[in-house]
Order: sequence, then C-alpha cells, then structure tokens
Amino acid sequence: MQGHVRDRFLSTSLSSVQALQDALSRANQHWNAGHLVPAEQLCQQVLAAWPGQPDALHLLGLMAHGLGNLDLAIQHVRAACQAPRAPALYFSNLAEMCRQRGLLAEAETAGRRAVSMNNTLPGAWNNLGIILQERGNFTESRQCLERSLALQPDNVEVLNNLGNTCLRLGLGAEAERHWQRALALRPGYAQPHSNLAFLLNARGEHDRAAEHAQEAIDIEPRLADAYVNLAAAETARGRHAQALHWLDGLLAFAPGHGIGLAARAMVMQALGQPEAALDAARRAVEAAPHSDEARNALGLCLRDMGRVEPALAAFAEARAPGGQAAAKAALNHATLLAETGRVAEARQGLAAALAAHPRNAALWLASLEMQPATEAAAEQVELLLAEAEAPQDRLLLHFALGKALLDLGEDDRGFHHLGAGNALRRATLRYDADAMAAGLRAAREVPEVAGEADPLPVFILGLPRAGMALVEQVLAAHPSLHGAGALPHVAALAPRPETLGTEYLARVRPLAEGRRHVLDRVPLPHAGLLHRALPAARFIHVGRDARDLAFSCHARLFAEDLPFAYAPGELGAYLREASALADHWRATLPAAQWLEVRYEAVVSDLEGQARRMLEFLGLAWHPGCLEFHRRRGRVAGTGAWRLRTPLDAGSIGLGQRYAAHLAALGL
Amino acid sequence: MTLEEADQQSRALAAAGHVEQAALVLQQVLAGGNGPAKMWRFLAVLLKHLHRMEEAKAIQDMLVRHFPGDLPMRFDLAETLLVTGDFRRGWREYRWRYSLDHTKAMERLVQRPRWEGEPAPGRTLLVHDEQGYGDTFQFLRLLPEAKRRSGARLVLEVNHETLEIARRSGLGVDEMLPRGTLPPRFDLHCEMMSLPQALGLRLEDLPGPLPYLLPDPARVAKWRERLAPLPRPIVALCWAGRPTHHNDANRSMTLADLAPLGMPGVSFITVQKGPAAEQAKAPPAGMAMTPTSDEIEDFDDTAAIAQVVDVLISVDSSPVHLFGATGGCAWVMLPHLPDWRWLLGRNDTPWYPRHRLFRQPRPGDWPSVVQAMAQALATLRDAA
Repeated sequence: MQGHVRDRFLSTSLSSVQALQDALSRANQHWNAGHLVPAEQLCQQVLAAWPGQPDALHLLGLMAHGLGNLDLAIQHVRAACQAPRAPALYFSNLAEMCRQRGLLAEAETAGRRAVSMNNTLPGAWNNLGIILQERGNFTESRQCLERSLALQPDNVEVLNNLGNTCLRLGLGAEAERHWQRALALRPGYAQPHSNLAFLLNARGEHDRAAEHAQEAIDIEPRLADAYVNLAAAETARGRHAQALHWLDGLLAFAPGHGIGLAARAMVMQALGQPEAALDAARRAVEAAPHSDEARNALGLCLRDMGRVEPALAAFAEARAPGGQAAAKAALNHATLLAETGRVAEARQGLAAALAAHPRNAALWLASLEMQPATEAAAEQVELLLAEAEAPQDRLLLHFALGKALLDLGEDDRGFHHLGAGNALRRATLRYDADAMAAGLRAAREVPEVAGEADPLPVFILGLPRAGMALVEQVLAAHPSLHGAGALPHVAALAPRPETLGTEYLARVRPLAEGRRHVLDRVPLPHAGLLHRALPAARFIHVGRDARDLAFSCHARLFAEDLPFAYAPGELGAYLREASALADHWRATLPAAQWLEVRYEAVVSDLEGQARRMLEFLGLAWHPGCLEFHRRRGRVAGTGAWRLRTPLDAGSIGLGQRYAAHLAALGL
Repeated sequence: MTLEEADQQSRALAAAGHVEQAALVLQQVLAGGNGPAKMWRFLAVLLKHLHRMEEAKAIQDMLVRHFPGDLPMRFDLAETLLVTGDFRRGWREYRWRYSLDHTKAMERLVQRPRWEGEPAPGRTLLVHDEQGYGDTFQFLRLLPEAKRRSGARLVLEVNHETLEIARRSGLGVDEMLPRGTLPPRFDLHCEMMSLPQALGLRLEDLPGPLPYLLPDPARVAKWRERLAPLPRPIVALCWAGRPTHHNDANRSMTLADLAPLGMPGVSFITVQKGPAAEQAKAPPAGMAMTPTSDEIEDFDDTAAIAQVVDVLISVDSSPVHLFGATGGCAWVMLPHLPDWRWLLGRNDTPWYPRHRLFRQPRPGDWPSVVQAMAQALATLRDAA
C-alpha cells in the first residue's frame, strides 16, 4: 500500500527557507496520515541539504518509534534536542521514549526541561507525570498530571494516568473517579477497566474486579495488566486453575512478563506444588531480571521450602525505588529475619524500608508490632491514616495506631482504632456465626471408625492465641520430638473418617525421621475423631486466661483465616462455644492421653512445665527445651517471631489491664 | 496414532481433497480435549470447508478463550462469525485483520485516533480505503452514514482508479483525494473496513440506498451505442480475479469452463481484465463472443456496461461489486467455501438485492455451477 504513495521531490538545492519549511510541513502531514515513504524521503532530503536539521531528525525519531525501533528513535530525537532552538515538544518526546526504554533519569531530565521551556503543553506535563510516577515521586507526579488535565480536561489518557498516581498515593476513591470519568468519555478504553479491576481486588470486590478485567481483555486482548488482575481475582476467589489459565494466556504472548511469571509461581504454590512453584519463580527471575515481583515470588517459594538464606537473598535483591513489589519484599525480608530469630536485624530492615516507603501501611504495622511505639511513630501513622482512602490501608493503619496508642498508655483511643480496624476487616469477610456454632456443637457426634493404634502423633490443641505454638516450640527442641507445625492433613482427611488414621500416618511418618513423636497443631473440633481414628495418639490442650485471650484476638490482624475474630460479639460467642467444646473433650477423652497445660504456667515456670509435658510423653528431660528460642529455622504465623526471642510475661494480665474496655465490648 | 502422526495424516488427506476423512482423523485424536492449538485450528478450517460452521465456531471460540491474546485466532473467529451472519461479534474481532503475520506490515500507522462512531462535529474525519477494489466498491455505501453519524467534515482517501466514480457519486464526502496524496489536517481517521464496526452495521441494515455509485452518462451512451448491434440478452463475463489474491485458486476459473453458457440467442462480452482476458480471443465454440476487455479503460467503462448489459456472470471479483453498487445485475459463481461476505445457504445476497449467487455444491465443482447458470440463462433468454 505504501508503494502507491508519492510526493513531489524537492529541488536538490533547497535554497530557500520557505522550501525547507514546506518540505517539513508536508513530511509531517504524510506521517500523520500514515504515508511513511514520502515522509521519510522528505526528511532525508532536508537532512541532505541541512545535516542535523532538528525538525527532520525529530520526525525520523517519531517514525522509528512508530515502527517499533525505540533505540533508533531515541538516537534521532536526542540529536534533534542538541539543536539550540529545539522546542519543548522534542524534549517531551525524548522524555517519553526514554521512559519506555527504562532510562528514567534521562527521561526525568528531558521531561523537566520540556515543561520549563513551555508550561502550556498538556502532553509534556502528562509525560513528566508518568515518569515521576515510575520514579516513585507520586506527589509531584500528581501535580504534573493535574496541570495536564487542566489544560485538556477531557483527555482520557491523562485521566487514566492520574488515577494510577492517585492509587499509588493511597487515594483509591479519587483514582476510581478519574477512571470512571475516562470510561464515561471513552467506553471502549481498556486501561481504566484493568485499573479498576486492580482497585476492586484490593477492596476485596473480586467479582466486580473480574468483570472489569474481562472487559479490558475483550477490548484489548494484549493488555498484560488485565490478565494479572483477572488472575488475582480468580486466586482470591479460590479458583486457582482459572488463575493459571489467564496467566498462561498472558505468557503466551508476553513470555518475559515478570509480574505474570511471579503470579504464576504463587498460583502453583497455592495449588500445593512447591517444587513447580519454585521452578516457575526461578524462570520468572531469569526472564524478568529487573522484576521485583519475580524476586519476591522466588523469596516466598524458597521461604516456604525452609531455605531461609536463599529466600532472604532473593527478597533483598528486590529494591526498585518506590516500587510496590520492593516494599512487599522488604516486609517479607524483615518478617523472615524475625521468624528466624534475627529480630534486631528485622527492626533495622523495617526502619530502612520505611525510609524508602514512608507511606506503606503494611510496613508501619509490622514495624509497630515488632517494637514499642514512640510518640513520633504514632503521630506519623495518625497523619497517614488521616490521608489514607483505601480501605486496605486504613485497616492496617488502624491496627498499627491502636497498638501504638496502647503502648503509649492512651487506652481509649487505642481501643477506638482497634475497633475501627476490626470493623473494616469484618466488612471484607463472609462469616456465618450460627453455622460456626452449630459446627462446633456437631463435632461432639463422632462417627465410629476403625482405629490405627500408633503412638506417633501428638496433637496440640486449644483456642486461638492460647499459646499452642509456644508449647510446640518448647517440645520440638527435644531430640525425640519433631515439630511439624500446623499440618493441613487433618482438615483435609476429616471428610473421610474411615481412612483418616491410615492416611494420616502415611503422610506424617516420613517426617519423624526416627523420632518418637510428631507434634501437630490441629483444630479443636477434630479431637474426638482423631481419638477414634488414632486411639494411641496423645493430646496436649493449652489453656489461657479468657480475657487475655480475647484481648489478644481483638488486638491483632491475623494472616491466618480466623473470620470470627473481627466483631466482638462474634468473637465472644466463638470463644464460649470453643471453650465448651474443649471442656467436653477433656471430660470424654481418656485422661491418660490428655494433658492440660496453662500458658501462664509455661511462661512463669518453663522448666517445670516442660518436664511435666515430657513426662506425659514418657521422655527423659532435655535441657534444650529451655533454649527453644535458639532453635534454627523459621517459625511461621502471626506474631510467631516472638518464639525466637526469650519468653517474657508481657502479654500476661493484659486482659485485666484492659478489663473495662473489654467489658464494654462484651468480651 | 500419535498427535504428530495424526497432524501429518490429516494434512495429507486434506491436500488430496479428502476433507471429511482429514477432519475425522483430527477429531479422533483430539476427542480428549487436549492437543496442540495448531491442530485444533486446522480442524476448524476443515470443518468450515465441510460447512459445519457451528462446530468450527465452537472450536475457534474455545481457542480464543484459551489464548485470549492470540490475535490471528481472533481473526479466524471473525471470518466464521461474519460468514454465519453474526455481524455484531464479527466486526469486533475483524479489527485484528492487520495482526496476522502476512498483514502486519500492511497496517497504516495513522497518527490520529480511530473514529469509533461518535459524534464529531467541527472535526475532520479521514476515511481511507484498504486493499481490494471490490471491498472499496462494497463499503463506499457506508460513507453517507459516517457523515451523518459523525457530523464531521469528511475526507475520503481512495485508490486512484475509484476516485472518479466516487467523486461523481458524492457519498456525503466533503473532500476526496487519491490514495497517497497529502491529506488536509484531520482529527480522526477510520479504515473503510472499520466503518461497519464503528457504525454497528447489522445484517438488517443492508443494502441501504441503491444505487450509491453513479456511472458517467457519456460513457453509458458510448456503451449503449457500442453494444446496440448485439442481440439480447447481453451477458458480460468475468472468470478470473486478481491473480495475487490469497484465495485466487479457489475462486478463479477459465473461459473454457464457461463453454456450456454458449447458446443461440445470447451475446457475450468481456469485462475481464489482466492476463486472463487473452482467453476471449479464442472463445469456446457456440459462444457468440465480442471481446471488449481491451476497450475498457477504467472502472467508468465497467460501470457504464453495468447499465447496458442484461447480466454480469462473474466469479467473486470487483466487477460484481461495481455492478451492484451502480444498480446492475450479476450472477456470482462462488466456491464451496466462499468469502465471508456472501454468507451461506442462500442464493441471494443482502448486499445487492438484484444479484443471484450460484454456489459450488461441493469443493471444486464448477461444472455444476456452470450447468445451473446455463439453465438460468436459457430461462432469461426465453423470457426476453
């Protein structure tokens, strides 16, 4: 088609300025109309008559860019910008091309030059705005994009970009307004749909998120972000196979997409295939070496396989300034340090991460959970909370501020924020308290099943936050015991009670490696069934002061799935039902196989209680149990890092201290 | 049989014309639902050739769902949707026509936004035609509606050969330019074949006002005089399309193939252009032939002939559209699996109500088509 295109050739002399201007003007018009051949011919003729002519070089740069040759485009436009009278537009285009090439420093310099030369170009403000967004300078990015929008109020691309910057600033509602406006102006615009999907995912509205992401893909089947957001919505709805489908669809046309590869690794992880997940994460880092998402995913896969040092190294390598993934990786890095006993390093790491990501709510919460709050920290969190719009951010900041204020003795305000955080969390959950209560009562009806009389398993159970992990860690320091954590097997096998015993033993026996018992923290409702299926198993039930326990549940945002913990009425009801069930098991299971341990007793007399438990298991004393916190390896779970520090009694009696506040909540 | 063997066997069978067996081989190995995408894709092609459109569509739909970012697969689906009359989804996926390996370089990189059908008063809209002449003749009908819908100043950039007839016809266009010349400044653009999507063209919107292209009265007079001596009915013939068309082998034939049309009382002239026009110098016996190809200088001659002769008998080529657009009548000879614009299972076409379609009853069976036409032609002659 291009072969048909003709334009009159210039006289070779190009003697007059008028002839040159005329040639350049026609070259531009041809380019706009998609006539590449005459546009290029005219440019080359101008350059032959006037080597280095900046307008011709700039246009050649645009053409190279349009044809996908970014390096050549940058080369031409850089040269055009060397001319003393190069206009602002050329610097603005150079800025955008450099951004696309990842040359952010040069991009920012050129972008700033452009707006300083001419502050009335909407495109120049827009280009600088997205460069600053990528540089992590969100406040200034927003200012630039708002100036661009003021010059061109209906520009949908600017609206889309401004929405993105607002989102990074934690201004979700404002971001949403900009995206909705862009869609009202141009319904067939894919990007805002995909961005809305991201926002809705963050709000827990996964069904609506999936709709928007799907719409984005229908409009623009190669919009990579939309696939990632759709996969995230599927994952959040537990549809891992579907998530994998969308990620594979993305990787089919964008095989080096770092976030897509990283997400794929996390889906494999969720599908219970750690080796495949690790493999996918490794490939992600290989294919997208600059992707922090990929490094973070690799870190998580390594961490969950118990490979602490390589995991720490992977997290540490994710450090793009201002990047969301870098902040996530920094949090994972610090948490893993704490969970492996390096609490001081973890605190330093969080301080450094907060210096780099001062508005990151998750980092603030982790940091305040890991040390007593200062007045300054509480003030900063309060300021952030005042500005934060995203419910997810507000939720984290309420918990962080609540904890900080209690540390500082401001109990009323502290409880106010804990209550607000709980309410926000509760709003994201589906939980049926009646069904839960009925389930706890129904657990007392235990089916008759054939038992496997093997003494290998020792089950640790109790109410949440009672101290089961502590008991496990103390015992696991004994050479004849293996601490398996909280294995998923009992919950998975319970629906088929008749094979539970044999199946469970088959899965757990390899973990023992010659040790006499395997310790497994199991859900309270399964105790009766476990006794039937494994009649030689022993149970250690951990009890704790009811009000301390209630306070501990109320004050924390759990990583685990504890949906009853976020509304005081529901929490109280759950704790009462669960206590009644524990009493029932104590009364009905054989006393010789059931041991009651009090959390408070373990904290105040570790040796005495450790001896008592070992005696119950028929094991000789081992002094390592007193040094349990020096054990190597990771201990996972909300607040579990404390088990890598010496015991302290700090959390005993908090229920008494806050009795009035807890009573007001009905706890 | 391994997948690889089945793949090879099905391709060999299809190449030998055993389409049904080829499809069967693939269906057997793919029955489990797995297998490489290229085999599913080929199976869909085979099913289309067998006119099993719903099955083909289901596979292509499945492939698009499975590989949502694969644009060539979307184009496959577009053609199937359009040929089965699903214009709404069809035009939507038809936008990927420049995303195929052999078309990527053909996409015109216009530096202005594409018009999506929105009102654009006070702005300038550049519409530009694409590849074949036939497409241009067929879709020029949408320009008045584009003008009405956009309210914009409408600029049409069209191939040189079509420029004169387009200018004469007006079409609501404010300014017309031959393709490749410097257009005026414009705000929006639209490829001519993107107009259906922009306008949301539905099957029931067809044909729209006819005729929409106006012949040159002087040329009509010239051809009236030129053909006056010939006994009626006069039939214009075109038996071969542009040889570079990707599907030419499937749609073109030779003049000798049309021998059964030769019958007493019917006059034949030719509107065939290109190398195939030579064949008219040695027409089949019994065909009263007046070779006129050399006298046709441009499309204005063809359009004038459309006003004078009784019918054009043609393969799927541009004169069919020029006849239709100017109100002439054509009988179109179509391969078993025709281009999407002719739809399936009907002997008329919503695009041109006066036209009649003669379809191959089985792949490659031109003799049956010609036989059916000969009967229709005899009827036409006897009615005259």
